[in-house]
Amino acid sequence: MAKLKKKPLSLDKTKIKERISKIKPSFNKIKKKTPKPKLNLKKHGSKISNLKVNALRIFKQVIKEFRLLWTDKFNLFLAIVVPPLIIIMLGFTMTDAPPETQSIPCMLISYDSNTFINQNDFTESNLDNYTMPYVEAVNKSIMLELVRFYNATEEIYAMEAARNALLSGEINIILSLPVDFTELLDFGLPGLIDCVPDASNIQYIQQSLNSVYDSIKIFVNDNNLTPQFQIQGFEEFTIPEGYSNNFNSSIVMALSFMVFGIALVLSILVIVQEKPIARLLLTPVKRSEILLSKFITYTLVLVFQVSLLVISGLVMGLYIAGTITDLFLALFMIGFSGLAMGVFISSQSKTKTQANQLFLAVFLVAVLLSGIFIPIEGMPVYLQVIAYILPLSHGDPLLRGIIQKGQSVLGIHFIWLLVISIILIIISFVIFQRRKYEV
Amino acid sequence: MRCRIISSPNSKMRMVDVNNLNVKFGKKHVVHDVSFNVDKGEIIGLFGISGAGKTTIVRVLTCQIEKKHWTGNVAVTGLSPEKKSNHSKILSNIGYVPQLELLNLYFELDPMVNVEVFTSTYGLNKNEAKETAEKLFKILDIPKDTWKKRVEKMSGGEKKRLSMAIGLIHNPDVLFLDEPTTGVDASKRYDILSYLKKLNQKLNTTMFIITHDLEAALICDKAAILKDGRLLEFDTSQNLISSLPSKGLIARFTIEDLNEKLIAVIKEFPSIRRIIRVGNEAIEVLMENFEENLPKLIEYMVDKNIIITSMSKDIATFRRYFQIRIQMEEEKENSLKEVKVIRK
Repeated sequence: MAKLKKKPLSLDKTKIKERISKIKPSFNKIKKKTPKPKLNLKKHGSKISNLKVNALRIFKQVIKEFRLLWTDKFNLFLAIVVPPLIIIMLGFTMTDAPPETQSIPCMLISYDSNTFINQNDFTESNLDNYTMPYVEAVNKSIMLELVRFYNATEEIYAMEAARNALLSGEINIILSLPVDFTELLDFGLPGLIDCVPDASNIQYIQQSLNSVYDSIKIFVNDNNLTPQFQIQGFEEFTIPEGYSNNFNSSIVMALSFMVFGIALVLSILVIVQEKPIARLLLTPVKRSEILLSKFITYTLVLVFQVSLLVISGLVMGLYIAGTITDLFLALFMIGFSGLAMGVFISSQSKTKTQANQLFLAVFLVAVLLSGIFIPIEGMPVYLQVIAYILPLSHGDPLLRGIIQKGQSVLGIHFIWLLVISIILIIISFVIFQRRKYEV
Repeated sequence: MRCRIISSPNSKMRMVDVNNLNVKFGKKHVVHDVSFNVDKGEIIGLFGISGAGKTTIVRVLTCQIEKKHWTGNVAVTGLSPEKKSNHSKILSNIGYVPQLELLNLYFELDPMVNVEVFTSTYGLNKNEAKETAEKLFKILDIPKDTWKKRVEKMSGGEKKRLSMAIGLIHNPDVLFLDEPTTGVDASKRYDILSYLKKLNQKLNTTMFIITHDLEAALICDKAAILKDGRLLEFDTSQNLISSLPSKGLIARFTIEDLNEKLIAVIKEFPSIRRIIRVGNEAIEVLMENFEENLPKLIEYMVDKNIIITSMSKDIATFRRYFQIRIQMEEEKENSLKEVKVIRK
């Protein structure tokens, strides 16, 4: 049996109409009250095609870029403060004065003290004449610190002990006097000294050899020995007195890496991280204008950065054989190639992570193939091609030529950098023009 | 399906004219033969489930889809997006408010600078931009103390309203809004809709609202219902609802132990046109000659031992209309499929 629990229905037409009128959106009532627009905003669409407006639009976009850069204090610090700071640090640390700590710890093993029987009078001698004078010479040298002296005839495991010391890092060099050291000198022949430096650190090899030459110089002077021959050198491209050799030679590498690297890191995210670009493209602004404004902004930042670098370098004692203008142009060109490379990475990266990964890969390859660590001529042909395509392989010789040899900036390396930059910019524009943006 | 084209009673300025629009991406036919037109000052709601083609239509109108992908005659503010030379003019005549504010605003900059960035693209000078922005900010109740703060420090609602202001900053003829109420909590949804209505009234801007939110129909002059790239309906929501049997009058029954069998029994009542199940124990019934047949239906249900716990009558909302219209279309598609299978 069906049960109707509620009241029976009454189908009253008037009541239904009332309810319908209640359901109608209240917005319609508002509309009836205010049918005409009250606010009259000016329209400016007609001016769009004007060349002046286009230029103004690019200018405003540049201002926007500067404002965005201003909000990113870390990037600003990286672009403006870090480069001169590194130059200043280099200036303070890379000096030519040999500090106390520069003396190289060594061990000396003499095999020259073997028993020698004189054939004329059959007398025995256990200690050769020139062993101890050389030990004294080592002690006198400020570039060497004699940790221990071994007489190999008394201590047969002297070489093993010295090798262990070299392995543990206690010393950096083993000096060894051969069996016939004194005899050769007595007979007016060149005496030999065996030298075993720790070659795991490339920097130490030359330093160790220099120290050994220092000790030999003292030994020759103290014992009135005549060197077998003398080489007289005439150095070209030397740095004048008063300038630090170390600073001037290391700054070339530092400058090219820094200008290129910072320009690259500044620009890798310029496109990929700007989300409202998609929305900007729904205004009359053109893609080319957006990209152009980014190039203008970061080129201006680069000019400022390079100026600061040159000034800080000069303040810290940078000797430039060429002209300052050439140095400025060279640094600018290296930086600009980094900027072009960065924008190229940004234009074709879909995410920030992808751009960062690409940056790391490109920068590492550019540094490794720059020719600073491994000579480009010694690389396989295909790597040589890659190396010459990358900007750093041209940056280092360009800067070295200007700073140390006084060459002009205009040369094959400058032209290469210019060509690389132009090609990268053209590719970036094409990619950005075709890039799919959806809002 | 060809839809009805409603001409405006007052011969208003035509803002958007779409005739036989077809969009194809490779073999995928995304929009099928869509035609409609919109006059100045109208608010149009584009409704449809995901993949209906709402966004694709708007992308054609906003010059985002290359001509090789679409055919048909389209004009926005009298200009065709077919010609690349028209793009700049069309883009300066329209505004766009994306679904996500981060696509429309520079969060690191303050609202006024954001305004400046966008107005500069239209060639407006700084003072004009400031003046316009202030007017819009006041209409949209964006607090004055936030005007010089970074956008990232603004609340979600303020960002949404700022995004709308940016869309309107150059006083466009047509404003496209992509899901303006998505991501906004229920209480704020109506605020957003009322702000849009307010802007429409004050600026007389034509608005296109792409939305899943059927409540948006409340402020729309016309609603376009899309399914699988086809325009099913394009009319005022009142007209659409009135096109239902008995002009959209529905009876809502709460029935004890409601199940499919009982619904099938009710469906057998002759004048019933559609039964919609709403919840576990409730149905809504649409029928011909509502007032005449409702007592008979109740009598019939009582005779069939169906226990009615409550009953009310109402007029269908746009939400209900949308649901019915989509259902009707699906049924039609299914029956066509069945016919094809039988023929095979």
